[in-house]
Amino acid sequence: MDEEYDAIVLGTGLKECILSGMLSVSGKKVLHIDRNKYYGGESASITPLEELFEKYSTPVDPAYGRGRDWNVDLIPKFLMANGQLVKLLIHTGVTRYLEFKSCEGSYVYKGGKISKVPADEREALGSDLMGLFEKRRFKNFLVFVQEYDPADPKTWKDFDSRTQTTQQLYEKFGLDANTQDFTGHAIALYRDDEYLAKPAGDAMKRIKLYSESLARYGKSPYLYPMYGLGELPQGFARLSAIYGGTYMLDKQVDEIVMDAEGKVCGIRSGGEIAKCKQVYCDPTYVPERVRKTGQVIRCICLMDHPVPNTKDALSTQIIIPQKQVGRRSDIYVSVVSYTHQVAAKGWFVAMVSTTVETATPEEEIRPGLALLGPIRQKFVTVSDYYEALDPGQSTQLFISTSYDATTHFETTCLDVLDIFKRGTGEDFDFSKVKHNLGDEE
Amino acid sequence: MASAKIPAQKVILCGDYGVGKSSIFRRFANDTFVASNDRKSTLGLDFYNKAFCSESGTDGHTHACQCPPISKLMVQLWDTGGMERVATVTSSYYKFSEAAILVYSVDNPDSFNSLANHLLEVASFAENAKIFLCGNKIDIITSDLVSNDDVDNFCEQCGIVSGIFKTSCKTGEGVNDMFDEIARVISTSSRSRHELLQLEQSFKLTTADIDSAEQQPDNCVC
Ligand SMILES: Nc1nc2c(ncn2[C@@H]2O[C@H](COP(=O)(O)OP(=O)(O)O)[C@@H](O)[C@H]2O)c(=O)[nH]1
Ligand SMILES: [Mg+2]
Repeated sequence: MDEEYDAIVLGTGLKECILSGMLSVSGKKVLHIDRNKYYGGESASITPLEELFEKYSTPVDPAYGRGRDWNVDLIPKFLMANGQLVKLLIHTGVTRYLEFKSCEGSYVYKGGKISKVPADEREALGSDLMGLFEKRRFKNFLVFVQEYDPADPKTWKDFDSRTQTTQQLYEKFGLDANTQDFTGHAIALYRDDEYLAKPAGDAMKRIKLYSESLARYGKSPYLYPMYGLGELPQGFARLSAIYGGTYMLDKQVDEIVMDAEGKVCGIRSGGEIAKCKQVYCDPTYVPERVRKTGQVIRCICLMDHPVPNTKDALSTQIIIPQKQVGRRSDIYVSVVSYTHQVAAKGWFVAMVSTTVETATPEEEIRPGLALLGPIRQKFVTVSDYYEALDPGQSTQLFISTSYDATTHFETTCLDVLDIFKRGTGEDFDFSKVKHNLGDEE
Repeated sequence: MASAKIPAQKVILCGDYGVGKSSIFRRFANDTFVASNDRKSTLGLDFYNKAFCSESGTDGHTHACQCPPISKLMVQLWDTGGMERVATVTSSYYKFSEAAILVYSVDNPDSFNSLANHLLEVASFAENAKIFLCGNKIDIITSDLVSNDDVDNFCEQCGIVSGIFKTSCKTGEGVNDMFDEIARVISTSSRSRHELLQLEQSFKLTTADIDSAEQQPDNCVC
C-alpha cells in the first residue's frame, strides 16, 4: 500500500472499473480499492440468494431452489447492441470474457396494456399501437430518420435537425400524441418530455441507435450478460489488472489526503497512506463533495412465471411513458430469468424502477408492478442520486454520478468518457489496447 | 482463422501468489521461462488458445497438435491477471471454466494449505469444472515439505481430483505431459445438460464490424 501511484480508484462499480481499465491501459500506475469484500459495489449481482434476503433483512425462504443459482442485479440495465458500452467492450477486448443473450422483447404501455415497440417499417405495419393512417405516417417518419444524414443537406427535405425541434419534426409528419409518446420514450428512450422543445438531432440519433441495435441481433435492441450485470465491472477489473493495476478489497478508506494547494496527494486507510496524483471515485466515498439531485426507486421482484402478455418471453423490457400514468418521468420494467443464469430453474427476476416524484415512491411504481402478475417476493430500495460539486480539475479528485433510472448504459458511458477526459486531458485512445502474451519486454 | 470454430475449453490456473501460475501459462503459451520475481512476470497475460488432438484408435493419447483437424480440442488457458496478489480473483474468472488447475509450490507448504480455499472458490463459481492438482518448482530441492501423503489426503478429502501433477517451469519438466492429460480428460467429459441448455444462444460480441481488436493467435499448425 505504501507505494506511489498515478491514480487511485475507489469503488469497483462499473464506472470505476471502466475508468481503472482505461487508465491502466494508458500506462498509468493504478491502485484500485473497494471497501467491500466483493467486486462491483452497487453494480454487483448479489449471490447467493440468501445474501439478498439478508441485505433486506427478510427471513430466507427455501422455496427458491439453490441460492447459488441466483445472481440478482441491484441496478437493472440492458446494453444497447450498438451502443457505447458495447463499443467500449469490443475495443478494449473485455467482450472476450463475457457471453451475452439478446433480450427477447421490447414493450411499451398504452391505455392499460402493453404492446411490442415497433422499431422498423415492417413492425410498424403490424403494430396494434396505431390506426391504419397513422401507421403510414409513422413509416414515413422512420424512413426519413433512417435516411437523414446531418452531413448531407440533400437528405434533409427542408428540415434542419440543428435548429428545428423534435416537436416540429413530429408535426412535419403529422404524428399523433400517442405515437409521439412511444417514439420519444420507448424508442428514443427519453425519460421525460423536455426533449420535445430541443433540436431534433439528438432524438434522431437515438432513434437510429435503437433500430441499428435491433438490426444487430434481431428480437430487441437489448443485450444482457450471462450471470448478470456484475460480470461487467469484473471484466474491466481484469483488464486493469492485466495492464498492471493493483486490486485491494475489504479495505476501509478513512481519508482522501489533500496537499497545501488543495490537490489530492493520497488516501489514508487506518495508519497507512498510499500516495497518488489523482483519485477517481463514486459518490459514496466522498459524501461531503457531492450533492443530492434526486432519488430513484427500484423494486426487485422474484417470480415463478414470465410477465403476462409477453409471449412467455424469458427477458423483456417494458416502458411506461410518463403521460400514460400521469407522471413526469417514465417507469421502467426489466425482466431477466434462469436462462441468463441469474435465477434458479423456472424463476424470473423483474425490476420496476423510476425517478422518485412524490413522498410515497412505492405508490409511484404500482402501474409497473401491476403488469407482472403474482409476485413472490419484493425488495424495495429508494436510493439518493448524487452529483459531484465540482468537475475535479482543480483538486484532481474526479467523482462519478450515481446510476440513474435509465434502463441502458448510454448515460453511464458518457459519464465515464467525460471523467476520463477531464482526468487525463484527452480522449481514450483505443489503439493502446493490445492483447498479447506479455513477452516482448 | 480456420480453426476458430472449435469451441475453446476454458482452463483456469488457481493458487497463491508466487507459486508459478504465470510461469505455467508462459510455458504453455510459448515455452519460455522468466526468472524475475516482480509484477512483470504476470503482466499482460490474459488467456491463450492451443489445439490438442486425440489420436483415435490409440488409448486416447493427446498431444499438442500436428495432425488433421479431426477430434481437435482447443484448450484455452487463463491466468489470474495477478489479482490474487492483494485481493481475491473476480468470480467471473471461474465462470464457464471446464477445468481448474490448483497450483502450489513444493517448497511452500502454506501455498499447499491454502488450496482448500481456492477449491472452495472453484466449487462455488464453476461447480462442474474438473479439478487438477499441480505441485510446481520441483527443480528446487526440498525435503518433502509437502509430502505425497499430504497430497493424497487432500485429494481424498475433496474427492474430486481428476489428476495430480508435478512440474518445473524452470526446466519445463512435466508441463507438456500435464496439459496433454488435462486435454484428454476434458475431451472425454461432457458438461451437464442443464448448463449446456442455458448456454445455448448466448454469444460473444464480435469485432465483425468494428475492426481494431485483434484475434488471439492460434498456434496450431494443422
Ligand atoms: N525454481 C523455479 N522457480 C519458478 C518455477 N516456476 C515459477 N518460478 C518462479 O517463481 C516466481 C513466481 O512465479 P509466477 O509465475 O509469477 O507466480 P504466480 O504469482 O503464481 O503467477 C517467479 O520468480 C518465477 O520465476 C519453477 O518451476 N522453478
Ligand atoms: Mg501470476
